[in-house]
Amino acid sequence: MTILRMREACFHARGASVGPVTLDVAPGERVARVFPSGRGAAVAALMAAGIVKAGSGSVLIGEYDPRVQSAHCKRIAGYVPHAPSRIADSEFERYVAYRAALWSVDPMRAAAHAKLLLERLAGVHEAFAYSIAGALIASPSLLVLDRPQPAYAQQILAAAGPRAIFSTHVAASAAEEFSAAAADALPVMR
Amino acid sequence: MTGRASIAIVAARLLVERRMILYACALSAVAGLARPHELAVTVFFCSALGVVAALLQTPGRYPDLDVCEQSAPLFGRQLARAKGFAPAVVAVLITLAYFAPQFAQPADGTAAAFVIAAAASIASTMVALCATLREGTARALYVALACATSVGAYLIAAFGTSIPGELAYCALVAFLALRQYGEALARFDPVPG
Repeated sequence: MTILRMREACFHARGASVGPVTLDVAPGERVARVFPSGRGAAVAALMAAGIVKAGSGSVLIGEYDPRVQSAHCKRIAGYVPHAPSRIADSEFERYVAYRAALWSVDPMRAAAHAKLLLERLAGVHEAFAYSIAGALIASPSLLVLDRPQPAYAQQILAAAGPRAIFSTHVAASAAEEFSAAAADALPVMR
Repeated sequence: MTGRASIAIVAARLLVERRMILYACALSAVAGLARPHELAVTVFFCSALGVVAALLQTPGRYPDLDVCEQSAPLFGRQLARAKGFAPAVVAVLITLAYFAPQFAQPADGTAAAFVIAAAASIASTMVALCATLREGTARALYVALACATSVGAYLIAAFGTSIPGELAYCALVAFLALRQYGEALARFDPVPG
């Protein structure tokens, strides 16, 4: 069983095409992939999270196809963008309540969960920690990270817990920090 | 989508644009003092500010909100309704601000003029929303179509002398524009350039 299955998934619109990307992520597994450009890594992460639809090939998140069941896919996958968030400290509670409303999570439970996640993310800059905590509030089965900061790998993995993680990178050294084991090969997508 | 999610999206959008809304309302109130009884000016002014409010919904202005909305388990048409409601609220607030000085000293036809201007403003705003997901010529065409919508509403109200006709026209245009926006939003791929 796989929680993310990408087969020759390509994105063609708006400039140079991205892919093909082929990979499987099993529940609880960590998969890190290196891409030749930041745009390629960003688009692959967006496809894996069901936010961008593949122009050719196939993507299945859980058992759902993002092209026809995007809302179902987005319940399974939590997406963390590469760019740091602009949320101020004073706005974090409101941000948590906002995300809780969008994912139909109890606001009190979301606030408590966010507090726990921030404790696990101790040492991570708030601009990154808030995005990660926000993505984990809804307890997704799959966490998709677009070029996460390798310096925060341990804290991010601790916050994510046993759930499956798919991360995209442009540097092999960064991918090693997020891969399941150092022995795993890190194929470079061309 | 639950009502809670819709309210959260509308509230978040209004909150991040609160300064812009305040300035627009202040400008509108000043314009209302200067030109209080000219229907053409009222309709076009309120519609123009409504179009600006709609264009502020363009993806990229508030990346944190965009990421949340795009990654949330919502269908395109559901998200479109919530995102469309925010600039519609702004359009009504701007129209209210324009008429605020007149409401203080009510004259004949003030309420009717308000209804005509608010309906035209909301319809123009909905059409302009479609421009936010497009670039270049298509974007410019949608903005032009939004302006043409307010012209059509004014012509029906002023020369057709039919307020129900103008309301029906604005309701139809707004409904079709919102559907189109929902379709476009469902197909929209937020890919970095």
